[in-house]
Amino acid sequence: MTDAGYVIAAYGVILGGLGLYALALWRRLRGAARRDDDAA
Amino acid sequence: MKTRILGVVALAAIVAATFVALVVVPPDQNQGDAQRIMYPHVASAWLAYLSFGVTALAGIGWLWKRDLRFDAVAVSGAEIGVMFTAFAIWGGMMWGRPVWGVFWQWEDPRLTTTALLLALYVGYLLLRRLTDDPERRATRAAIVGLVAAVDIPIVHFSVEWWRGLHQTATIASPDKVLNPAAPMAFVGTLLGMLAAFTLAWAYLMVRRYQLARRELEREERGRIERIVEARSNPVPSEALR
Amino acid sequence: MSTLASDTRVALAIARKDALAELRGRHATVSTLFFAAVVLLLFGFALGPDSARLAAAAPGLLWLAVVFAGVLAVNRLHLLETDDGALEQLALYPVARRAIYAGKALAGFAAMLLLGLLVLGAVGVLFAVDIASAWLPLLATVVLGALGVAAVGTFYAGVTVRLRAREVMLPLLMLPVLAPLLLGAVKATSAALAGDPFGELGAWLQLLVAFDVIMVVAGAATYGFLLED
Repeated sequence: MTDAGYVIAAYGVILGGLGLYALALWRRLRGAARRDDDAA
Repeated sequence: MKTRILGVVALAAIVAATFVALVVVPPDQNQGDAQRIMYPHVASAWLAYLSFGVTALAGIGWLWKRDLRFDAVAVSGAEIGVMFTAFAIWGGMMWGRPVWGVFWQWEDPRLTTTALLLALYVGYLLLRRLTDDPERRATRAAIVGLVAAVDIPIVHFSVEWWRGLHQTATIASPDKVLNPAAPMAFVGTLLGMLAAFTLAWAYLMVRRYQLARRELEREERGRIERIVEARSNPVPSEALR
Repeated sequence: MSTLASDTRVALAIARKDALAELRGRHATVSTLFFAAVVLLLFGFALGPDSARLAAAAPGLLWLAVVFAGVLAVNRLHLLETDDGALEQLALYPVARRAIYAGKALAGFAAMLLLGLLVLGAVGVLFAVDIASAWLPLLATVVLGALGVAAVGTFYAGVTVRLRAREVMLPLLMLPVLAPLLLGAVKATSAALAGDPFGELGAWLQLLVAFDVIMVVAGAATYGFLLED
């Protein structure tokens, strides 16, 4: 693999991971909000 | 909402910093393009330490004030810290392969210390997951988080020493030592990436904290329901907590 | 009576109680020692049969065996408490928490010291290493290493009391924290066996002392929180 491949692998996983985590949090928060509305 | 603005600003900052790191800044004279990996790698490491520092302090806050909001901060720090630690290790490995020729290097004190950091805080998160009672969980976590935080400097010190007594050529090889074509640009890009990542960190911390608060409330509701039920049909409980 | 004096009395009393309980049910001690022996044997099969390689690896193998067996030993020592709620009863007494910790850590230290010395002897025999020539620094290393494992082990045993999946959580929590101790002990053992060619033995022993002090203080300071719920 060329150096560029490693750079892409590094940035891809790190930035992609950040994005996925942000997405996961957003979904969990939305789910929790809906549950709170149901409970209320 | 203010948090949403923070999120947008963080995203913009990361895009900008990434663009500069990948396109604008010239490649390193010794390490070539692989050196670009340093920017998110160092930023991730920095934020991992920041996160765990927050976790340790929040743990102290819980032990002192007995307010579960401190524990919500602690779990947020730990989870996000583990994520950034994993990123730092991944970045280190992706950098190591082209520059050292190997993915892993026992002589690099930062890599080994970071791996241990991951082990410590994954343990922390597992411990939390296995404890159901919120107060007990907060107490156990606070104490374990504190000891983990105390262990880190010891690990650093011992691993540096370990490395220091091993004079091998692998890392010190002159043609692979960092040699930026434009040192100021290198430092500037690094700081820019650091700032962008820190904004993202702050955004994620806020969101994770909000989630933690909601989950606490849900647990509390569940507890009250169980108490009400138990009052109607009393039953002895020796459940593991 | 001064607090230190009463704390010490409490600690010694608890240490005695734990040690006696352990001696009476000797099975745990014996099986832990045998476990260490089996581990050493397996190391021999895994890394042998070249005796030079084994001799070079001996310090590492010594301390790995001690640490792994140590996890088992700590687990056993504290199983006594959970089984009949003894730890909760202990918490009801108006004694300083740090004294309880000190007592348990002391009993653990005695167990680990015995383990360490026996493993040291076994390693000397199995991997053809000359312990006698460096017996004093080796003894110091074993004492310091045993104390570190006991301090950390007692602490985490307290954390994992009544925890689900305890058998895997105790080592999972203990072992990363013990990494610097492992490093220091192995390096000190290596240096001692080689006659300390680079003069580094003192530095490694200092690291072990620092580790032990920090962990004992941390354990004593926080043990109280673990007992109160």
